[in-house]
Parts: sequence; structure tokens; C-alpha cells
Amino acid sequence: MKQAPMLSSAFLHPAGQTLPEPLLALRKQRASLLVDMPLPTRKTENWKYSSKYLKLTDEMAISLPAEGKAGNSLAVSGYKVVFRNGILIPEASDYPDMDGITIQSFSDLSNEEADVLALQLGSTLDHDQAQFARLNGARFDDGLLVRLDADAVLDQPLFIIHETAADTSGSAFPRIFVEAGANSRITLVEEYTSSGDAPAFVNTVTEFTLADGANVTSIRLNMEGESVQHIGATGVVQNHSSRFESHCVGFGGPLRRHDLQVRLVGEEAETKLNGVVVTQGKQHYDNHTSIDHVAANCNSEETYRNIAADQSHAIFNGRIHIHQDAQKSFADMNNKNLLLNNGAEIDTKPELEIYADDVKCAHGATIGQLDEESIFYLLSRGIGRRDANVLLTMAFINELVSQIPLEVVRDTAQIRLNEFFEQTFQEI
Amino acid sequence: MLSIKNLHASVEDKAILKGINLDIKPGEVHAIMGPNGSGKSTLSQVLAGNEAFEVTSGEVTLNGENLLDLAIEERAREGVFLAFQYPVEIPGVSNLQFLRTAVNAMRKHRGEEEMNAAEFMKQAKEVSKQVDLDPSFLKRGVNEDFSGGEKKRNEIMQALLLQPKLAILDETDSGLDIDALQVVSNGVNALRAEDRAILMVTHYQRLLNHIVPDYVHVLAGGRIVKSGGRELALELEERGYGWLGINDEDTSN
Ligand SMILES: Nc1ncnc2c1ncn2[C@@H]1O[C@H](COP(=O)(O)OP(=O)(O)OP(=O)(O)O)[C@@H](O)[C@H]1O
Ligand SMILES: [Mg+2]
Repeated sequence: MKQAPMLSSAFLHPAGQTLPEPLLALRKQRASLLVDMPLPTRKTENWKYSSKYLKLTDEMAISLPAEGKAGNSLAVSGYKVVFRNGILIPEASDYPDMDGITIQSFSDLSNEEADVLALQLGSTLDHDQAQFARLNGARFDDGLLVRLDADAVLDQPLFIIHETAADTSGSAFPRIFVEAGANSRITLVEEYTSSGDAPAFVNTVTEFTLADGANVTSIRLNMEGESVQHIGATGVVQNHSSRFESHCVGFGGPLRRHDLQVRLVGEEAETKLNGVVVTQGKQHYDNHTSIDHVAANCNSEETYRNIAADQSHAIFNGRIHIHQDAQKSFADMNNKNLLLNNGAEIDTKPELEIYADDVKCAHGATIGQLDEESIFYLLSRGIGRRDANVLLTMAFINELVSQIPLEVVRDTAQIRLNEFFEQTFQEI
Repeated sequence: MLSIKNLHASVEDKAILKGINLDIKPGEVHAIMGPNGSGKSTLSQVLAGNEAFEVTSGEVTLNGENLLDLAIEERAREGVFLAFQYPVEIPGVSNLQFLRTAVNAMRKHRGEEEMNAAEFMKQAKEVSKQVDLDPSFLKRGVNEDFSGGEKKRNEIMQALLLQPKLAILDETDSGLDIDALQVVSNGVNALRAEDRAILMVTHYQRLLNHIVPDYVHVLAGGRIVKSGGRELALELEERGYGWLGINDEDTSN
């Protein structure tokens, strides 16, 4: 029998030593768990469509240096934190200075603070499903800690810009931990960009814990370049009456994977997950989401849209698990997919596990093409074929794009979408 | 203006139009009546360029230009407008965005400047009033959840905005209440012009009280079997189609 390929040991040696002692120890301990970590193959259920896109070489194992030129990113005024190759750059960042809100790089934590954080890191994630979160745990060189005390409200969104400068081959392992205290409120934007064209690997983990009544809006824009493979995981734990809202907008690449796991552990928690994925050329994108209704009376609403052009490949896997005690759960999952070319591939799979009897759970998945009748209607009004295609493709995701609560993010996404249309629909 | 000669068309190898001949001069209004399934919508769709239908023989010219050679959007830009019997719903594209894209495509074709959002909004609001549609309809998705009558008014609104040379109205009067019929008729009458031809498909002579046609044609079994003046519509209303020798076979498919 052929041995399953293992993660090369080259990936097990972290470079940066600037972290406080408790985090260095944590990293070391996590690394020891990684020895003999099998790489996913076609036979790995949660990677079966994507394993063929994963191409990690030993050259990519080393951490990219923190210097390097900046990519183009959201032009923001207001609060921002810039990571370059997984290292937080204080000079480029602009933190809020508000009572009740702590925003700090992992490297700046005292040993006492780091002790507390070490117990929390990884606690929101099921690592058997998001295997690569383990690798991040063994390799993160830096990270961002955001703590909101009870009732703290961040008055403006916090932009976290992750730039990967892929001038040489290497990896980046940024990590974010957000603890939202009772009734606190924050909007946080993660933007992933890159420059350079050396093969690079970005492996992220972002975690949110929401105390009772906390309200978190998370926006994630994935716009890295064609040489960057990206595997990210987001873990969310929600307590009583908390509200989490996520907007993920992703553009394809050689490998794109995002695992989003939400656990509703307190009653009356609400979660809303929106996602838009656009792929073209030979690009790939794989979204795996998972919502655990652990407590009763919670509400989850999930809407994902994939658009695949050319020979690209998009994957959506949506798992909803309603635990035995989660009576009166309401869960609605909807995934629609648009194939723009016959050569494109979309795989969608809902996974429902329901162990409570008094629940409302709806799910739907469709795969379709642009509607011929609608195209004819638009053309019959003098609209050109290209514009008709663009209007109808935008129509497919408009509802989700317009729900993104920040104009600057909508605009940034729209610019990328326009480039996509430019390349996908030639004037006929 | 419009000249149709011996037009044959089929869908999925089934012949629907079997030799249509029709000439329409500028300024004229022609009504086409005829039983269900006789090919009225097919004729309308073929003129607009719907590729689901195959033209197997015949000739269609608009102001001397071969219409059948033109792509759908080119026909529209040359002035062909079809008000659909069943307008398509397009959720996610706002009516306003749709209309502005269409108007600007036409303007660009004529070498005129495109209209900005504010200018267009003003014009669109005026025209929506003309067909008694609240301006809030401009913000909704194209025909999305519009009632049958609202869809028809939206079609006429588009005709008024696009100012076509040839307006083909496929049962624009169907499903309208009495007030809406009045509104739509006023809209169509507003379209009547020296340099514009109108071809209306209808089942009801009542529309022709509001919009008085110059000619009435009866389409049956894919052919025009009778043409006359306005009085032909009255006669059809009274006597049905039987006296024209239209048999069941013609009307059943
Ligand atoms: N896409 C299609 N596929 C198959 N048959 C079609 C198609 N479109 C039209 N037909 C057939 O062509 C014939 C003519 O249809 P058409 O819609 O032109 O009739 P009509 O005169 O407009 O009828 P009505 O008064 O009911 O609107 C009908 O038998 C119809 O079933
Ligand atoms: Mg018809």
C-alpha cells in the first residue's frame, strides 16, 4: 500500500522568537503534535475535491521575512493593523486608544497575559475538521489580540490588512484572537492581499469568542495573487443572545480554502453567514462551513454564492449540526451556484445532522447557468451581450454584496469583480 | 417601414410560421388577432430576434435593411421594440439600472452622450408617471414580483423611454383592469407618431376602441388569412373565427 504523504518536517520549524515565553512553549507543544501529520488526499473526506490543488514544497516552508514592499490594499482611514508576512507591523498600524478595549500584538504581551491567551488559542476550533489550524498553532510568528471589556463598543471598524510579500518563496502564519465581552460590539475587516509572484503559502487562524449579548461583524476579503496558496480557518463561539455576522468575499487562486466553524453554545444566539466566491481561469476555492447548534433557541442563517468561469473549480460544503438539547433551533442554509462555462466545476454539499426534534431547518442548493430568457430580454432592449452577462452575473450576488456593511469594502470587491468581468466576458 | 415577405419559422423542427406577408408603413398601427397558438407571439419573437426560433425562409426588412441579419441587440438599436406577452423577472437587477443601461446603449449607438444616474432618474420618474407606476418600481428588481398589469405597464414605460421605430406589442392589453387598460392605451397612443410603426397583438376588440388601428389582420395556422380595416375586429368579436374557415387543426397547436 502506498503511504499517505506527510507534511514535510521542514514545516515544523518556526522562525520568529519574539513571542513571550508561554506562547513559544505553546507553539512547541503544538509542533510536537504535528509530527507525522498526513497531508490530505482524495480519500480525505473534507478535502476530496481540493487535495489535488495543494502543492507545498520545502522551499515554501520557511517564514517569509517581515520586510518587503506593500501590496495594494484597502485605502482606509481609521483603525488599522497591518501584518506583513504574518508579522504585525506597528509603524504601519493605527490602533484605537479606548477604555475597555485592548488591541495588542502577541509579541507585546506580558508573560501573564500570554499565559491567559495560551489557554484560549485554538479553543474555538475543531482541529480534526480544520487540520491546518494545527499547523498555524505550531508556526505563528506573531498575532493580534483584541479584547473588549463588557459593554465596550469600538466606534469604527478595525481593518486588519494581511500583506504577503512573495518576493521569495515562503510562508506566513498570521493569527488573530478576538474576545468580545458581554454586550460589547465590534466590526472587524480582514483583508488578505499579496505582491510578488514566488510560490507562497498563507495559513491563517482567526478566532472569536462572544460573551452574552456581544455583537460582532466580521468581514473577510480574500484577494491574494496567483502564486499564493491560502488555507484559513475561523472559529466562533457564541454565548447567550450574542450576534455574529460574517461576510466572506473570496477570489480564486491556485488553492483557496476557508473553514468557518460557529458554535452556538448559549441560548438565543444568532449567526448570519454570507459568502461570495468568484473563480476563473484554472482557479480553485473551497469553503467549508460548520454551524453547531448546541444550545436551544438559536438562529442561524447562511447564504453562499459561487460563480465559476473558464476551467475553475469552486466547492461549498455546509454542515449544520443540531445537538440533542438544541430544541427550537432555526437553521436556514442556502447555496446557489453559477457556472459561466461548461469547463468550470462546482461541487456543493449540505450536511445536516439533526438530533433534536423540535427544530426548523431548511436547506437548498442549486447549480445553474445564466438564464437564456433573461439574456434575450436584456438584448432586446439594445443592451450588448457583455453588459447583459455582467448585469445577470452581478444580479446573482448583488443581494450579498449590498449587505456588506462598509462601502469601502463593497467598492474594493466591486473593482475586483469588474476585473473578473473584463476577463470573463469579452465583447462579442 | 417594415416589410415581411413569405416568412417561415419553426421551433424544434416544428413549423409555426408558414408564409407571413405584411407591410407596415411609418405612422400606421396594425392589429393582429387570431386564435391561441396561431403564431402571433412567434412572429413577434422572430422579429425581435429570439434565437429559439429558426427562420427557414423569407425576408424581413426594416427601412430597407435586412433585419434577419442583425443580432438581437442590433435590431433593438435600429429601433425594433417588443413588449413581451410574458415579461421576464430578473431579480437582482434593479429596474432603474436595467433601463439606464438600455437607454445608454441606444444613445451610444446614436453617437450621443450617455446619461448620468441623476439625469436618467429624472426622466425615468416622468415616464413612470405616464404609465401610472409609482417611482418606487424603479428601485425594484426588473419585473420582480410585479403583478401582471404592472409588468405590462413596465413594458410600455420601456417603449416610451426607448422611442423605437417599430413597436411590437404582444398582448399588452391582456390581464389589465379597466383603469390600467386606459393607462396603457394612453401610453400606446403617446407612442403613435408619423415616423413610427406599431404592430399590436390582441385578442380583444375593446383595446381597439382605445387605440384605433389602421389595419386588422387575422393570423391562423401560421398565415395571415384575412386582412381588413378596423371593422374586421368588430366582425370577429361578433362572429368568432369560425366563419373564416379556421378549423380546429389550425387552432389546436
Ligand atoms: N419554444 C417553443 N417550443 C415548442 N413550441 C413552441 C415554442 N414556442 C411556441 N411554440 C408553439 O408554437 C405555436 C405558436 O405559439 P405562439 O406563442 O406563437 O402562439 P400565439 O398565437 O401567440 O398564442 P396565444 O394567443 O395563446 O398567445 C404553439 O403551438 C406553441 O406551442
Ligand atoms: Mg402569444
